[in-house]
Amino acid sequence: MARTKIVLAGEGGQGVQSIAKILVEAGYEANKEVLYIPNFGVEQRGGVSIAFCQIADERIGEPRYSKGDIIIMLSDRAIDRCETYVDKNSTVVYDTSVCTKKPTCECKEIIGIDANKIANEQLSARVFNIIILGVLLEATHVLELSDIKNAMELALGKKFDAKPELRELNYKALEMGMSLVAQKAGV
Amino acid sequence: MVNKLIKEDTKMFLTGNEVLAYAANSAEAEFMYGYPITPQNEIMHTWCKLLPKTGAGFLQTEDEISAGFSTIGGILAGKRAFTATAGPGNVIMQDAQSMAEMMRIPFVCAVMQRGGPSTATVIYAQQETRLTCYGGNGEGFRIVYSTAGHQDLYDYMIKAFNTAWKYKFPTYVLADGYQGKMREPVMLYDPASRGITMVPTEKALLADGEIGVDRKSAHMRNTYNMEEELMEVLDSYQVDYDKMAEDVAEWEEYKADDAEILVIAHGIVARSARTAIDELREKGIKAGLYRPITIRPLAVKPLREAVSRAKHLLFTESANGQLAQMVLEKIYGLTTPYSTLFKMGVGVTGDDIVQKVENIVKEGV
Repeated sequence: MARTKIVLAGEGGQGVQSIAKILVEAGYEANKEVLYIPNFGVEQRGGVSIAFCQIADERIGEPRYSKGDIIIMLSDRAIDRCETYVDKNSTVVYDTSVCTKKPTCECKEIIGIDANKIANEQLSARVFNIIILGVLLEATHVLELSDIKNAMELALGKKFDAKPELRELNYKALEMGMSLVAQKAGV
Repeated sequence: MVNKLIKEDTKMFLTGNEVLAYAANSAEAEFMYGYPITPQNEIMHTWCKLLPKTGAGFLQTEDEISAGFSTIGGILAGKRAFTATAGPGNVIMQDAQSMAEMMRIPFVCAVMQRGGPSTATVIYAQQETRLTCYGGNGEGFRIVYSTAGHQDLYDYMIKAFNTAWKYKFPTYVLADGYQGKMREPVMLYDPASRGITMVPTEKALLADGEIGVDRKSAHMRNTYNMEEELMEVLDSYQVDYDKMAEDVAEWEEYKADDAEILVIAHGIVARSARTAIDELREKGIKAGLYRPITIRPLAVKPLREAVSRAKHLLFTESANGQLAQMVLEKIYGLTTPYSTLFKMGVGVTGDDIVQKVENIVKEGV
């Protein structure tokens, strides 16, 4: 049975849970089986925030899993907390412009991206997480770009309607994220 | 009367807390009392968000002590009322829950377990299992449904109201922070479409008619003068409880018929066990699951039968054996050996269970 297990981890406030919600909403709208557990402590900001997402073709059993297929680490603390979810079949993605170290785990592939830097210099700090969503989309290959765009409309449609340039900005961020992985995969 | 929002089968993508609010509405619940505590807040958030459409009521009290007693007040007034809590909130609500036991009040409560003891984590655990079954100063005259996902939350929240009003014992939907916060698809439906009729509520206090003429006086006691007087009442409760248990006890077995290794788990952990069992079966290991759905009362006969058939048991919980203690008491006299996989306040994954069972097999069972 095809099941993709994703662990998405960063600092509270980086927007990890927001993109997890968009991702699973996209999966649901695309008639996949999906299950998402947000995981964080009592802090409003700071602390490690983790989203466990599964997208599958058949009914999902275990809500929590030991090892992920894709693990995204967006801070040093996220690296520390999430290496436990990595095994030899996992793909690890981390942000070189946020993390001061590289994940050292044994896995299929470690991809370093500089999404935070790109967001700040080329787009807007606010779409950092949407770049990551693009990364996820390209790295997992279980959903279509159109699924994600539909889900973004559901989550952000009102804001987009008020300020149409926001839609363009978010789309650009999404595509940027996808190309970051596509480039790395080609190397 | 409240307006029911779900009139036909409706597939939705919700968090478990949202599911519980919809389920309470589908069960024609009229009033919720509550006090915020993570991870169950969104039950009351959703309930309140729906109020303009449902016409139901809500009261946020000053704490869980008050929320528990206010719920009792609402029920005495004849309302299908309920509450929800978690963790330390569940602890301080025990006073009211005991009163509901003593006065046979159809108290309905959803418990979304979080880590313990004390404040611990706001995330997840199965550490309120014993508290929910046996908390308070009393004997645990309670009915506790342990759910394993969103469809269960919807089905058993509706059922909890009927169980409570039919048998007049406090009734719980015991879930956890994962189920409360996680999102997955669920089918909502009108209970009538599944042949479910809601048990009518009745006023215990301020009922219509004249006392002595139209009706007897309501005499609901919480205080007894003599020891024997108390025991007489509690003995009669025990008789009612045992009789009720035969009708109410529910369990689920998965590939348990020919299982050599029987995993015993409840709630969301049972769902991880199913994933593990499929994997183990593919590897040629005959594993199966016994999942009590009512963890109080336990269905003793099928439990003992399943345990007798197995060569080895594995108890697994996100607690240090709270269910195992209750089960072991009920399987006293059987000699099936057992192992344990307890992760206090931490989720149990399919892999955890697969590895544990493989070790058991390796050690030669």
